[in-house]
Formats: sequence, structure tokens, C-alpha cells
Amino acid sequence: MVRCAGVAEDERAWIDGLRRGEPAAFDAVFDAYRRRLYGYLVRMTRRRDVAEDLLQDTFLRLAQHARRLAPDTRLGAWLFTVAHRCVISWSRAQAVRAQLAGDFPARDVQADDRSPLSALVDSQAQLALERAFAELAPPYREVALLVGVEGLQPAEVAEILGQKPDAIRQRLARARAQLAAALGEHAPAAWRTA
Amino acid sequence: MTDQDDAARLTEISRELPALDLDATTAEQIARRARDQVGRGPSPLRFIEPAIAVLLVTGYLIWSVLKALEALGG
Repeated sequence: MVRCAGVAEDERAWIDGLRRGEPAAFDAVFDAYRRRLYGYLVRMTRRRDVAEDLLQDTFLRLAQHARRLAPDTRLGAWLFTVAHRCVISWSRAQAVRAQLAGDFPARDVQADDRSPLSALVDSQAQLALERAFAELAPPYREVALLVGVEGLQPAEVAEILGQKPDAIRQRLARARAQLAAALGEHAPAAWRTA
Repeated sequence: MTDQDDAARLTEISRELPALDLDATTAEQIARRARDQVGRGPSPLRFIEPAIAVLLVTGYLIWSVLKALEALGG
């Protein structure tokens, strides 16, 4: 799936271990990536229970695919590609469920959405930032999280999301503009003048 | 503004986001379930459903052909 010549040494050792079916290599990958993937999944689904399920699906996929990994696989990009696909499947299932539910009153999404994140923030600025991310449309939020939080390059994100680099550049610019607008006074000074 | 500028500014502000993590028990449960599958590949049980469907369809086709031959011959 996602390969590159420049794989870090640690990752190369983990991939070799995974290809040999070594549980210790899996544990090392799990420790290295679980927080990053979980943060991405919580912020994309806005539900901790769903994020836990999708995290498990992502790592199960890695475990089942371990022996077939290419030696030059970039694990981060590989894992985020799988996590992204899990989010897409979950979103589609949610849409079908919502359609089937028809006229039943919707649950209080607002209250549920805030709880996993507001419990963790310790300042108004952090809360404003979490809310600003949460209010972004999912395609913009995803790009903002992968580039801003995960530090992935836009070209890499294009590969993970299966989009053209131009589309990612546009989403990136819109995400930044929408975040700046949503943050208002909490936005860094440089953002307000840009 | 270039995409590198956008990326740099998003990175700058994202540093303020709190780190999210699972509780230790849930993390261990997830790790254990997945660790047990390392190197095993997908379960062979996933072939059972399509195999049953193929058998049913093939059986029905054979039965249909036999019936058609019977009707034509008789």
C-alpha cells in the first residue's frame, strides 16, 4: 500500500519483526502509534467508544497483514490509511442508521460530542481549539489533523486519503482559514493578520 | 500563502491540543486481541459463506439443465 525508500531504522526493525510474526514487534508498533491513532480517531468520530473499536480494527488489520507487509512500508502512513478507511466505513454505517431511524428523535449529539474532549482540556484556549477542530467539516478536519497534529506532509496525506495533492492543498488552506475564523480572539496573532 | 505556510501554522496551533490516550486496561485488551492475530492472516472462515453460495448456485444450475434435458428428451 504505502511504501518509501526512507524508512526509519526502528520502523525497519519492527517491520522485519512483523513479517516474521513476532508479537514483540507488534507491541513496539502498538506503543508507538496507539496514542496518535486514538487521538485522530476520537477527533474524527467525536466518540471515545467508537474510537476504541476503530483502533482495535486498525491494529487487527495490521496483525493479520503482518507477514505480507513490504519491507519498505511506512508504518505511519499505512496505519493512518487503514484508520481513515475505518472512519469512512463507520461514517457510512452511521448515515444508513440515521436514514433507517427515520423520524425517531435524534440523541443529544452536542452533549455527547463535547464530553470526551472537554474533560481533558485545562484552559479556555484549549477548549476553544478543540471546538474549532470539531466544527470543521470532516474532510477539512481530517487534513488539519493529519498535517497539523500528526506532522504528515500534504503529499503523504493525499496518498493516505486517496486524493489529488491539489485537493489536499485546498482543504488545508480552507481548514486553516476556518480554524482562524472559529478561534477568533484565541487564534495566534500571526493567524489574525494573515 | 503556500501549503507549507498553512501546514506550519496548523502545526503551530495544534501543539496546544491536549494529548488523548486510552486507559491502560482498554489499551491492553486491544493489544492482546490484535497480538494474538499477528502473522495469522484473515480467518479461513471467511471463505465458508461464498463456498456455500457457490455450491447452492451450481447445484441449482445442474438441476435446471437436467430438467431441461428431461423435458426436451421426453
